[in-house]
Amino acid sequence: MNPDQLTGARLTQGASLKARFKMLIRLHKLEAKRGIQDIFDNPLSNFMTVLVIAIALALPTGLQIMLDNGKQLSQSWDGASRISLFLTLETSKKQTIDLSNKIRQNLAIKNVEVILPDQALKDFSQQSGFVDAIGELDQNPLPPTLVVQPVEAYSTPFESGKLLAIYAKLPQVEKAQLDLDWVRKLYALIQLAEKAAAALGLALGLAVLLIIGNTIRLSVQNRRDEIEIVKLIGATNAFIRRPFLYTGFWYGLFAGISCWLLVEISLFWLQQPIANLAGLYQSDFTLSGLSWSQSIQLISISCGLGLLGSWLSVGRHIRAIEPR
Amino acid sequence: MIEFAHVSKRYPNGQIALRNIDLQIGAGEMAFLTGHSGAGKSTMLKLISLMERPTAGQVIINGKNLNRIKPRKIPAIRRDIGMIFQDHRLLFDRSVFDNVALPLMIAGYDHREIGRRVRAALDKVGLLSKEKSTPIMLSGGEQQRVGIARAVVNKPPLLLADEPTGNLDPELSAEIMRLFEQFNQVGVSLLIASHDLSLLAKMHYRTLVMKDGQLIQDRSDTPQGLDLPPAQLLGADNES
Repeated sequence: MNPDQLTGARLTQGASLKARFKMLIRLHKLEAKRGIQDIFDNPLSNFMTVLVIAIALALPTGLQIMLDNGKQLSQSWDGASRISLFLTLETSKKQTIDLSNKIRQNLAIKNVEVILPDQALKDFSQQSGFVDAIGELDQNPLPPTLVVQPVEAYSTPFESGKLLAIYAKLPQVEKAQLDLDWVRKLYALIQLAEKAAAALGLALGLAVLLIIGNTIRLSVQNRRDEIEIVKLIGATNAFIRRPFLYTGFWYGLFAGISCWLLVEISLFWLQQPIANLAGLYQSDFTLSGLSWSQSIQLISISCGLGLLGSWLSVGRHIRAIEPR
Repeated sequence: MIEFAHVSKRYPNGQIALRNIDLQIGAGEMAFLTGHSGAGKSTMLKLISLMERPTAGQVIINGKNLNRIKPRKIPAIRRDIGMIFQDHRLLFDRSVFDNVALPLMIAGYDHREIGRRVRAALDKVGLLSKEKSTPIMLSGGEQQRVGIARAVVNKPPLLLADEPTGNLDPELSAEIMRLFEQFNQVGVSLLIASHDLSLLAKMHYRTLVMKDGQLIQDRSDTPQGLDLPPAQLLGADNES
């Protein structure tokens, strides 16, 4: 290249649009690398930052998992929304069966169990151990009973309450009962826990933003001279911002993965005691962890928070640095 | 290329750096700006590179009135000016190649084009063999030449140099000046701030002398001017 090509004294034309676009992609690769380099240059303190973010994310994630499991557990106890219909004493066996068939035709009903007075008495005497006392009775005091189990969609307190009201009006029904209080309490508890988890998630998400924002602020301060120099050479704020945005993104990604590991390890650690506990209740309940989509969601949220935190911080601090 | 019209600059602390400067430097011209420290040389350069704004008057570069440039447009203006600093202002965590490539990366050039241009610029300043070194491994003169390569790699029509030979011995200084002359020969305009009077005396170029924020002499390179010994040229300054 001869000298006049090197310093041709005309206004710089810059590069073509296509070249610029290609360069932009290349720059992004370079800056992504530089951003990651920035983290590995200072492994210990950055590792701690990542860990702090991971823990902050693991708390709401853990709570969410507990909630999901709680919901699952409460669904497997859909007996809670079983409706017991105690029929009048004079209802005959045939009438009882007819009624049960009639109820079973309702699409909202999954199953109807018929408990005839004789059977009920037998079960009761076996379970209670009052065999002798019951033998003294000259008449079976127990009414025929239908145990109605609604399908899942009608198992909520509201829907099963409506069903209850309908059955209570049937002439043969002496008393219709739903263990509604218990269901209501469970649902209320889950709702409360959901709200608490959301609030905790929000607060800790904010904390993550602040942590990343502050880390990026320090990183900008450390590279103050460099920023001044590239500003003098004509770099735009967007150009200067990019590597810092990548740093934020990498923080988010590493923290997301660490958080996932933390959660999975804790779940693994809890698996055995929970299986033991469930065994005591004759349940084969096992703790379910994060699904694939939930894991990806977790890591995406973490990356998003990293990007947002650095974006909020970096623009302000880069604008404040002007070459002197 | 550079035009100052009634330019004054007063810093927020009340210090008056420039008083009513009128100046024109044409395209393809090479000029020296001299005077004692504090005379306003640096302020002149800062106004051209938009690091400062004038309190009054107008600065026009490449036909653009800098008063009308919004902060967002400053980077684009700076890309058309090659700047060379006394303290080189290199990035010490990157190789010589990467330092020189920086203006091209900012302008968005293709990486093959960047490679070509960077090597051409390094070849020009005689540092092609050092492209993989980091600036810290280089001598002061070499660092300055890296700075020069970075300033010219984007082929700006205007070069500004602030005491480019400030820390160099006379031989290296002369070498740097020869580089500047070569750039000038291919049409680049140069404005070089320097108080190296012995060097100026050897160079036969327009010299602007500043004192207390005013332009006290605009000496074109006439035979009489050449004969003037530098001490006499700045005699008034030395007494004050």
